Amino acid sequence: MIPLIGVVSVRRWPRSRSFRLWVPLFLLWLLMLPLMLLLLPVLFIVCLISQVNPFQAIATIWGILAGFRDTHIEIDNGEALVLVRIL
Amino acid sequence: MKEHRRQILDMLSQGKISADEAERLITALDKSNGADSPVNGSPASAAKAKYLRVLVDSDNAGDPRQGPVKVNIRVPMQLLRAGVRLTGLIPPQARDHVNQALHERGIPFDLSQIKPDNLEELIDKLNELTIDVDVNNRKGHGDEKVKVRVFCE
Repeated sequence: MIPLIGVVSVRRWPRSRSFRLWVPLFLLWLLMLPLMLLLLPVLFIVCLISQVNPFQAIATIWGILAGFRDTHIEIDNGEALVLVRIL
Repeated sequence: MKEHRRQILDMLSQGKISADEAERLITALDKSNGADSPVNGSPASAAKAKYLRVLVDSDNAGDPRQGPVKVNIRVPMQLLRAGVRLTGLIPPQARDHVNQALHERGIPFDLSQIKPDNLEELIDKLNELTIDVDVNNRKGHGDEKVKVRVFCE
């Protein structure tokens, strides 16, 4: 399953001013779907030229997208905390 | 088991341990429980790693302008699997070039040998991986202590 939502959170110390941004990735995928369909023949041609199985290429790209789910990156330098989560 | 979990949660609510430490303790508790009562016959399969964790803790004492830096990264194993599968997309000609370049640099490695079976074995072995690095840097006004921890959970 590909990630559907991304969360970017920034918090500054000591004022505790923070913002949290929810990125609806599912909307991004929906918007990109027509573009992907248009690019599909190009991908097939590139794969045929480079002697790569196009279905394997699609499966790998899908696997990488799906693999991003549950990624968690948190960086705190004492003044600010940045958190990126992909759900 | 539930009692231990409750104790950890109590310590967390009392502020005796941080959320990160509580998470680590609960994971360790789950792992030990999995090892005691294997579900699929083998303890290794019961506690299959799902994430690669990288924790960096630096007190930055050498630089008074900056506070302590903490980095907490969790990478799903699924992403590592997909990343290794990318080697299957390298065109044969390019793969030969890469193999040749690796041999010239004294790395006798053949990219075509990376198969899904090998990959699963590699990821299973990663389960036992733990890297702890403690560094003391003499920098500026004081010592900078950096602690790096890489492990699977």
